Amino acid sequence: MTLFNTLWAAIGGIAGNKLRAALTTLGIVIGVASVISMLALGNGARAAVDANFRFLGSDMVQISVKQKIDQGELVPVGEILSYDDGLRMPGELPLVERVLMSVDGNGKVRHDREVLDMVVTGTTAEGLLTLASQGQVQPLRWPDGERLTADAFLARGRFFTPAEVVAGADVCVLGHKTANDLFNGDEPLEQIVWVNRKKCLVIGILTELEVTNPALRNQSRPNELLYLPISTAIVNLFDEEPSVQITARIEDESRMVTARAQIIDYLRQRHNIIKNEVGDYEDDFELTTRQDILGAQQEAARTFAFLLAAMAVVSLIVGGIGIMNVMLVSVTERTREIGVRMAVGAQQRDIVLQFLLEAVLISGFGGVLGSAVGVLSVPLAANFNRGVALLDPSSIPLALLVALLTGLLFGLYPAVRASRLDPIEALRYE
Amino acid sequence: MLQNNLVIQVNGLEKQYQMGDNVVHALCAVTFTVQRGEFIALMGPSGSGKSTLMHLLGCLDTPTAGDYRLNGRLVSQLSQRERAVVRNREIGFVFQTFNLLPRLTALENVLLPLLYSGRISAGRARSQSEQALTRVGLTERIHHKPTEMSGGQRQRVAIARALVNDPALILADEPTGNLDSRTGETIMALLGELNDDDRTIILVTHDPDVAAAAERTLHMKDGQIT
Ligand SMILES: Nc1ncnc2c1ncn2[C@@H]1O[C@H](COP(=O)(O)OP(=O)(O)OP(=O)(O)O)[C@@H](O)[C@H]1O
Ligand SMILES: [Mg+2]
Repeated sequence: MTLFNTLWAAIGGIAGNKLRAALTTLGIVIGVASVISMLALGNGARAAVDANFRFLGSDMVQISVKQKIDQGELVPVGEILSYDDGLRMPGELPLVERVLMSVDGNGKVRHDREVLDMVVTGTTAEGLLTLASQGQVQPLRWPDGERLTADAFLARGRFFTPAEVVAGADVCVLGHKTANDLFNGDEPLEQIVWVNRKKCLVIGILTELEVTNPALRNQSRPNELLYLPISTAIVNLFDEEPSVQITARIEDESRMVTARAQIIDYLRQRHNIIKNEVGDYEDDFELTTRQDILGAQQEAARTFAFLLAAMAVVSLIVGGIGIMNVMLVSVTERTREIGVRMAVGAQQRDIVLQFLLEAVLISGFGGVLGSAVGVLSVPLAANFNRGVALLDPSSIPLALLVALLTGLLFGLYPAVRASRLDPIEALRYE
Repeated sequence: MLQNNLVIQVNGLEKQYQMGDNVVHALCAVTFTVQRGEFIALMGPSGSGKSTLMHLLGCLDTPTAGDYRLNGRLVSQLSQRERAVVRNREIGFVFQTFNLLPRLTALENVLLPLLYSGRISAGRARSQSEQALTRVGLTERIHHKPTEMSGGQRQRVAIARALVNDPALILADEPTGNLDSRTGETIMALLGELNDDDRTIILVTHDPDVAAAAERTLHMKDGQIT
């Protein structure tokens, strides 16, 4: 018997009981749909991690203060990570080429009668470069794939110089919306704004920015910005000296491990951290490199993959058992048909093939339906996961294949059982 | 030369069924031969082993002991696979209960043996099936399903299915048993015509009038030919 004719017989078999076949596919549909949406969650999480940590180049070490929660507030566990810690690092450590620093604080910003309560950022002279390399925001309607430069972020004027940073100059750079809010359309350049109780000269205006990831666009306000030189910000925004965020750029990437160890030694020395009784150091700072993040991400991906596999296996086994059950019922109901087919010359393999094809058709149908449901449920899954879900196109053929294999696996037993029937017994079956 | 003309040679054929501790001797040392072109009626009381013998002759079952040669070839100990091929190519079986597939049309039912033989093209299989249906007097209703046909028409479809592969032997187990006597007569007339075409036919019947139409009658009792 040709495959086509067998296929025809199998389709006939399903058509004989459409509702039952449809119900049977439910397990496969759920299984396949969950595989696709779970893969989308994993894919989305991976993409989000990629996007969030793109800024951390492989030649950078991020240093932050270690904090703990004390009476509902985050406080440093030991000493703060100071501006001075960062400032002296390149001089003390030859492997550290330079250091970028930043600190965020709340400030009252005023011009004429306009007063804004906003987050003010203090940075070193490379502030815009950091913004560009982070890739989180970009100028409005920036062409896809075009390299971002620090200059692209500036609409007019300039950013502050290293000399101004060291000197703690009273200059500032405004974000697009902040400039509009404060000056109502007047030219802000070379004008004075008050930041808390200090006058600052506006030396630059940023161009209008948007968040790079479209999914996150309405969650942050990229144009409400005010940059001060970090030294100015520390004096102006804080009563006590704050911890700063330090990013050290290493001259020679291949000596990352050494540089990392040197930074740790340097900070331990400055913070007077010595071994405790059991021989450990209780550091009050934390180092992060791209390698650290990748490692953590891979760890998370493994856990996720395991969870995913377990879920897929369980739902597909449930679906598979459903198919096996319905096929066993079908074989029993059609015992006479099997007997007739055998009586007119069907081989065992003809019968196996017919029922196997029937099972695979049912599971394949479930696979197609499940893929559709899976694709449609990706936005739903994203809703439950803070917008992080991204359909992985390769998951569709994968899920379909898995569905077909499930049909094949669980259809095998009923099909073989059908083929082992004795022709006489089968013909006599009522 | 005479040997070559023997379609069936049965020698000491036995069939036993194990029923718990009892052994049922459905057939005991059955021996007979059938010549090509013979029309044989098989008669006997209920439970005498007629159907059991027909199943063995039709290669639907294997004997417990004894030899069965079909067209000179020993077929009593063939594998399941080989028996399927023999059933497909050399035997046409007509059942009392028709045994048509209810979801298929008359034409599709007749096509089945050709599809399983896998030897001819779809086009030829179709025209051969239509010929077989014409041969049994059905030209109109070939696209109808069995449920849309009368008993006599269904049995005609079953006979068409039995002869579509041009088998050497047609076995009919009480083909008129489920039909009224008028319809039964037309079916018997049809089988007679097929026999005139030099086909070998063995027919099980309880009706002496039906048996009278045959050339030779074999009588069975308690699993033996008397
Ligand atoms: N599968 C079986 N298992 C056990 N015994 C069987 C089986 N098939 C047939 N028999 C027994 O074998 C004997 C012959 O049965 P068979 O069906 O051949 O009779 P029959 O002559 O065709 O009768 P009927 O005229 O009623 O159709 C009977 O006693 C029956 O009970
Ligand atoms: Mg009988």
